[in-house]
Amino acid sequence: METEILGERLELWPQKAVSWPEREILLLADLHVGKINHFRRSGIPLPVKANDRNVEVLLELVEATKPKRIICLGDLFHSHYNPEWEVFGEVVKHFRHISFELVLGNHDIMSDIQYSRKGIQLHDELRIGPFIFTHHPLEEIEEGAYNLAGHIHPGVNLRGKGRQSVTLPCFYFGAQSGLLPAFGMFTGMARIYPRKNDKVFIILENKIMEVSTTS
Amino acid sequence: MAPDVIKIGKDWFSARGWKAFPFQLEAWQAFLDGRHGLVNAPTGSGKTYSLLMPALLEFIRDNPDYKTKKNNGLQIIWITPIRALSKEIELSGNRVIEGLGLPWKVGVRSGDTSLKERARQKEKPPELLITTPESLHLLMAQKEYPDFFKSLRAVVADEWHELMGSKRGVQVELALSRLKTISPHLKVWGISATIGNMDQALEALLGNYYHEKDYAVVRSDIEKKVEVVSVLPDTLDTLPWAGHLGIQLLQKVIDIVKGSSTTLIFTNTRSFAEIWYHRMLDAAPELSGLIAMHHGSISQELRNWVEEQLHEGKLKAVVCTSSLDLGVDFRPVETVIQVGGPKGVARFLQRAGRSGHQPGAVSRIYFVPTHSLELMEAAAIREAITQKIVEDRLPYIRSFDVLIQYLTTLSVSDGFYPDQIFAEIKTTFCYNSVSEDEWNWLLNFITTGGDSLQAYDEYRKVGIHEGLYKIENRTLAMRHRLSIGTIVGDSSLFVRFVSGKYLGTVEEYFISRLNPGDVFWFAGRNLELVRIKEMEAQVRKSSKKSGAVPSWQGGRMPLSSQMSEMIRLKLDEVVRGVEKDDELVFLRPLFALQQERSHLPSKSEFLIEYFKSTEGYHVLMYPFEGRFVHEGMGALVAYRIAQIQPITFSIAMNDYGFELLSDQPIPIDEAIETNVLGVENLLKDIQASINSTEMARRKFRDIAAISGLVFKGYPGKPIKDRYLQSSSQLFFNVFHDYEAHNLLLQQAYEEVMDFQLEEARLRRALERIAQQKIIITHPDKPTPFAFPIMVDRTREKLTSEKLEDRVKRMALQFDSLD
Repeated sequence: METEILGERLELWPQKAVSWPEREILLLADLHVGKINHFRRSGIPLPVKANDRNVEVLLELVEATKPKRIICLGDLFHSHYNPEWEVFGEVVKHFRHISFELVLGNHDIMSDIQYSRKGIQLHDELRIGPFIFTHHPLEEIEEGAYNLAGHIHPGVNLRGKGRQSVTLPCFYFGAQSGLLPAFGMFTGMARIYPRKNDKVFIILENKIMEVSTTS
Repeated sequence: MAPDVIKIGKDWFSARGWKAFPFQLEAWQAFLDGRHGLVNAPTGSGKTYSLLMPALLEFIRDNPDYKTKKNNGLQIIWITPIRALSKEIELSGNRVIEGLGLPWKVGVRSGDTSLKERARQKEKPPELLITTPESLHLLMAQKEYPDFFKSLRAVVADEWHELMGSKRGVQVELALSRLKTISPHLKVWGISATIGNMDQALEALLGNYYHEKDYAVVRSDIEKKVEVVSVLPDTLDTLPWAGHLGIQLLQKVIDIVKGSSTTLIFTNTRSFAEIWYHRMLDAAPELSGLIAMHHGSISQELRNWVEEQLHEGKLKAVVCTSSLDLGVDFRPVETVIQVGGPKGVARFLQRAGRSGHQPGAVSRIYFVPTHSLELMEAAAIREAITQKIVEDRLPYIRSFDVLIQYLTTLSVSDGFYPDQIFAEIKTTFCYNSVSEDEWNWLLNFITTGGDSLQAYDEYRKVGIHEGLYKIENRTLAMRHRLSIGTIVGDSSLFVRFVSGKYLGTVEEYFISRLNPGDVFWFAGRNLELVRIKEMEAQVRKSSKKSGAVPSWQGGRMPLSSQMSEMIRLKLDEVVRGVEKDDELVFLRPLFALQQERSHLPSKSEFLIEYFKSTEGYHVLMYPFEGRFVHEGMGALVAYRIAQIQPITFSIAMNDYGFELLSDQPIPIDEAIETNVLGVENLLKDIQASINSTEMARRKFRDIAAISGLVFKGYPGKPIKDRYLQSSSQLFFNVFHDYEAHNLLLQQAYEEVMDFQLEEARLRRALERIAQQKIIITHPDKPTPFAFPIMVDRTREKLTSEKLEDRVKRMALQFDSLD
């Protein structure tokens, strides 16, 4: 599925990522790597295997989109250091030719050393072309620019006859700002309320569907 | 020969002008003979003294110097389901202890007990300790807890019928399994109101003692006469076809209140209590200051105040919920009113018993219907009372969540050796069937988090040192102690004035829909939401008109199977034209309309209605089996129809029937032809329908909280570790995807099987239906039977379509500004 924003062509992937082919950039948000370990460390027994999916899907995406840069819109790693960081670091090291970059989010609280050890570049905010990449959505956006953000873990609600209703994760593109779905497992979802003329793409199991036709 | 201590007891009774009832004497003798057992007696019948007295007499018998023996260590534990009861027991206890000249101390241990008092109890244990199941477990989370319990002679589980039907009953079973080892001379006794499965209640309480030891069942022959009077409107039109509130009859209720000294008004949910209280004040402002409200989400302080005022006869009426069902007897109460269907015979009788205290007096209970068909329940309950029918209470079995909580408790205090504890839990009714494999899984779960330990894994909870399973980490220990009280998993917020005064709790779901400045009605006050901070909703009083009234989950009781049977009986009377109850006579025009639009089924007929509306296509079926069975049967029938063709259903139910609603035509004729109501492959289809609905997911909410997966803080102590917060839903998903053999996950499915889709009961219902003639009607308009189900908003979902196909027919929900 594709969409166009300020003349730039973006590809939307059901693995919950956006690629920007012209610039060879892969965008992800809210991986929350290591969250499982934090629970386990506090005596809450989540299966460790649930960690693996993040990495597996990321490998799949890299294979499919062959990016030069991978930019994470915040919350890459869940809070303080734990050994899962080393597992993720292995992946980063493996793709030496790809630049891994992180726009810092509220959960990215590890010391800078941990990121530089793995060769991950840090940004508070990143501008490329017309886009301003941030973790928290910006409240004010200058004319001619477009903000892409994470943090929210957006989902929308759809209703049909016979009292049917589903809430699904989505990509959301408003007039001047857009939201990426949370990439990570075990992250939850927050319902958003789009306005008319916004573009919304829901994520079905292995497919993306646009639901935003002005109704 | 031991002294005749029974005479001592009798003498004390006569000195007070009382005479012991035969059942009391029987219980005294059985207890003194060293037996275990159960006293079956209603509230207010002297049940407390039936067991408290012999426990004291035994001490007198065994200790000739009893009058001077101080600090004897813990002798008796009295377990009550609610804290409010402990005051009453404490009073009775002190009275008789003083009267018999024992230098004993009485202690209360509950969530309200101060730290100072706790420390004192540990230092010098009271001889009689009154406590709740949670607090008893907390005592076992203390270092060197066996010392505290070693002199114990008896445990009494009060209101055992109430405890047994919940996981708190399981907590009692577990505590007993430990205490039986620590104090070998322990006697186990319970007190229970009458339930259908008395024998099972005894077995659950005694565990292995049921098979190995001498026990006695002592029944009181005290019987209360109950009269049921329905409050009828002047015309049938006044009553709506659907609804839960019954506010149409407000004036008649106010008249009853004014004509009586003190009235208890029972509602089925906490929100209705709030609304009724509110409306009564609006309609009769002169009652202001004379009426009050009482329910489980109001702070203890407010509740205590209401109870005191009730005792002193200062209140004209109290609007309440099941929070006043149990225990304490309020003498001034003259009249009892039940708003809405009572749903169960036992509960109704208990409520009715709140009035008419003079011996031989008739307890009269007024029934206020909230919608017209509910009047059938009044007729049904009258029949059940005549036939002396009462419900069963099902004890929980194989509750792995409570077991994990218990093992963690033992790890927090002195640690445990698995072989010993496994042998102990096997003596309980709940865990009798736990296999060695399951036990090993549990041990693994608490030590390694379910996975085999990996090099870099930092899972820490229970450690093993020379075979002893123990938690050393103090933070973990603290968090566990705080979570023991969490036996219900709803996430609730504390409501507090900005100044700090605590008012009670509301569910997070409700508060999250409000904005600061919004006004809501709670604890009988208009409150403005100021801010939400941590786990607290801070409020101030407001004079603005209130909008919202909070709703609390879990307020809806299903109709018991016994009541369901009575309803079917009454309906058949109507069909045969032999109905005599006032309520049924009053409802005649409604039944006529049902007959005109569709059909009124006799007991040899099964009615199905099928029609189209603007909402979609509706199939309604009326088994009259109660809400829980309908939830299961609805899911089962939906699942089976969905095998005929890809289709999506939204399923609603009430106590009389269920509805399958779809946006596409429903192949109902084909469904009947292929026997969707048959019993073939029942178990397989039940399992498949559980998998395709949300039922297990909902059960998992409580399981996750009890087993310590989801930690929500505790009154006054919100969690600091916000990063550890997660919803039980996410846990469910992760386990489902990565650890399908997880016993907690399996427990969720088993609970659905045991309580919702109970195979035996479903099978019986389907077998009954198989004997009936199926009648399908196509009404033009919703019928009186259909309407209350159709408007119900709590719905289950079942689909055999691809998500993609479903979504294509749906529309995105926009911001309400658009």
